[in-house]
Amino acid sequence: MTRMRRITSVVLGISTIYALSVLAGLGPAALAAEKPVIVGASISLNGAYARTGEYQKRGYEMWVEDVNARGGLFGRKIELKYYDDKSNPNEAAKLYERLITVDKVDLLLGPYSSPVTKAAAPIAEKYKIPMVSTGAADQAIFRQGFKYIFQTYTPENFYMDGVLEMASKAGYKTMAAVNEDTVFAKGTAEGGIAKAKQLGIDVVFREAYAKGVKDVSGIILKAKAKNPDIFLGGSYLPDSTLLVRQAKELDFNPRVYVFSVGPGLPDFGKNLAKDSDYVFGPSQWEPTLKLPGAQEFADRYKKKYGDEAAYHAAGGYGAGQILEAGIRKAGSADREKVREALAALDTMTIFGAYKVEAGGLQVKKIMYMTQWLNGKREVVWPENVATAKPILKAPAWKERK
Amino acid sequence: MLESLPVYLQVIVGGLLLGALYALLASGLNLIFGVLRVINICHGELMMLGAYAAFGLFALWNVHPLLSIPVTFVLLFLLGIAIEKTLVERVAGAPELSSLLLTFGIGIILTSVAMNAFKADFRSVPALTGSILLWEIALPRARLASFATALVITGGAYLFLKRTRAGKAIRAASQNALVAETCGIDVARVRLFAYGLGAGMAGAAGNLIALSYSFNPEVGHVFNLKAFAIIVLGGMGNFAGAFWGGLLLGVVEGLTGYIATAQVVDAVAYILMLLFLLFRPSGLMGSAK
Repeated sequence: MTRMRRITSVVLGISTIYALSVLAGLGPAALAAEKPVIVGASISLNGAYARTGEYQKRGYEMWVEDVNARGGLFGRKIELKYYDDKSNPNEAAKLYERLITVDKVDLLLGPYSSPVTKAAAPIAEKYKIPMVSTGAADQAIFRQGFKYIFQTYTPENFYMDGVLEMASKAGYKTMAAVNEDTVFAKGTAEGGIAKAKQLGIDVVFREAYAKGVKDVSGIILKAKAKNPDIFLGGSYLPDSTLLVRQAKELDFNPRVYVFSVGPGLPDFGKNLAKDSDYVFGPSQWEPTLKLPGAQEFADRYKKKYGDEAAYHAAGGYGAGQILEAGIRKAGSADREKVREALAALDTMTIFGAYKVEAGGLQVKKIMYMTQWLNGKREVVWPENVATAKPILKAPAWKERK
Repeated sequence: MLESLPVYLQVIVGGLLLGALYALLASGLNLIFGVLRVINICHGELMMLGAYAAFGLFALWNVHPLLSIPVTFVLLFLLGIAIEKTLVERVAGAPELSSLLLTFGIGIILTSVAMNAFKADFRSVPALTGSILLWEIALPRARLASFATALVITGGAYLFLKRTRAGKAIRAASQNALVAETCGIDVARVRLFAYGLGAGMAGAAGNLIALSYSFNPEVGHVFNLKAFAIIVLGGMGNFAGAFWGGLLLGVVEGLTGYIATAQVVDAVAYILMLLFLLFRPSGLMGSAK
């Protein structure tokens, strides 16, 4: 009796749903398609990348909200499923494995930072799930012949292009290049050296120093003896700061200073006060850029979170847009079709251009160049998006007030 | 060669300036080791907290890091006493492995707490920049001030240990805890005080870090390793030895960075440590024991 009743109610239930969907003009196929597209990611919410990871997550979330507000993709909502990888590459690899095998996500977005992405990418590749990576500039990750990983950031070897082109135009001929002895920092310096050679700039001094360096006076003194026009550092915030401080202390006066990571961050100005002036810093993105949707994104971000949008957030949003464009081009969230679409896609996001070559290496997005001028960071290159004119002749320390 | 003499002097001066900071940190570490026989692996983390205290006072009330040294010293002294009383005291006299694990664990906790509270951003206090020129030698203001401060604090602590009754009790406990105890010295209290003093000195070193360098919650790590090498150079448990060991390391690192390359500078501490262990295991000033 009870068994009979159960069967009846199931049959009744199914036919009701069927009837309702037909009434709504959808049909059974559309009913199945209303299942959301689940996009998985691991994000650093604790550990060394906690802050930047949080920014990237905000970018992802704003993109998800926007897509869903527009009615989703082909009638399906987007759902973001993420875990905290604690800035730990091994943890991230495990989490991507979990997202794929336990949570059965449809598509993937990347974690933050090159080291973490390096660990996560092979997992996506193993399970053949497309991953739009953001927060990772290291070109080595995208030169492994992987077919399911797609880079959003400009790779590190193009970081110095803008400033070197300007310096070369200004007639500078010599350069001292130093870098922290780690993969990414070295990559930015070596990219700069290759570009300098193309432009006919002589590299008159070259040295590396260990991570966590506390005294670079040896380096500064040796570089000073060569009297270079350009001082280029493949460096992060603490060592960029130290190089500028000790350049001032030892009266080393190159005309152009450029460091790969430090000057792109607001803290560079806080930590050096007015000594940050004239220093160039490459940037993946700035809220003032005249790219379609960029300023609108920056405004909305500021309204929502209270602080200025950092490039990590814009990169997160841009990666979402790329994934969205891939799904649209593929016509569905089918993994193979999305993969093919992402590999051939040539598009523009609020973060800049997107186009990859084999392996997923980003080839179209350029690096913007900023310069600290009067305690503010201005975009100075390329000219069409510049907010200020660059000063290519930093005054000697003794001439500064 | 002759014309590059000023450059070498410049390099040596730079080494001495950094060395004084090492010395301040390492002598506190050695003080703790001498009295408690505990290698305080979280010493660099205590310094890191001092740096944040200095940074906070500067950011909030614009207090110059040199002026806030007494404040951070007292704060870290109190924190040190709390740590000693509740945790480290339990492993004093126990096999070294227990105290190593304990202080290592404390270090991890302090770093993680700081990471959560302050995030991983690099901080720095641009309160004193540029150099004073003395003949042809540039003396960076911030590091000159930090050199002088380190000298004053280590010297003060040295005089305290040599001249005062409490200092003598510390030295007695350091030389032989058992005999000191039978002479009526409250060795447990001496341990408490010595740990507090060491922590306070680490806190003061934190102010100097904030003045001259960028730091984040992980800054203690590098300094821990160096301070450990320095106390081997100077002689385990020997306060003055750690001081000279710190200066020696600073200068040798500076010269290595100039003559060879900055890449190998971090290896200098360990090479020196190995050489000392091989040829003079008691260190610069340690007893043969």
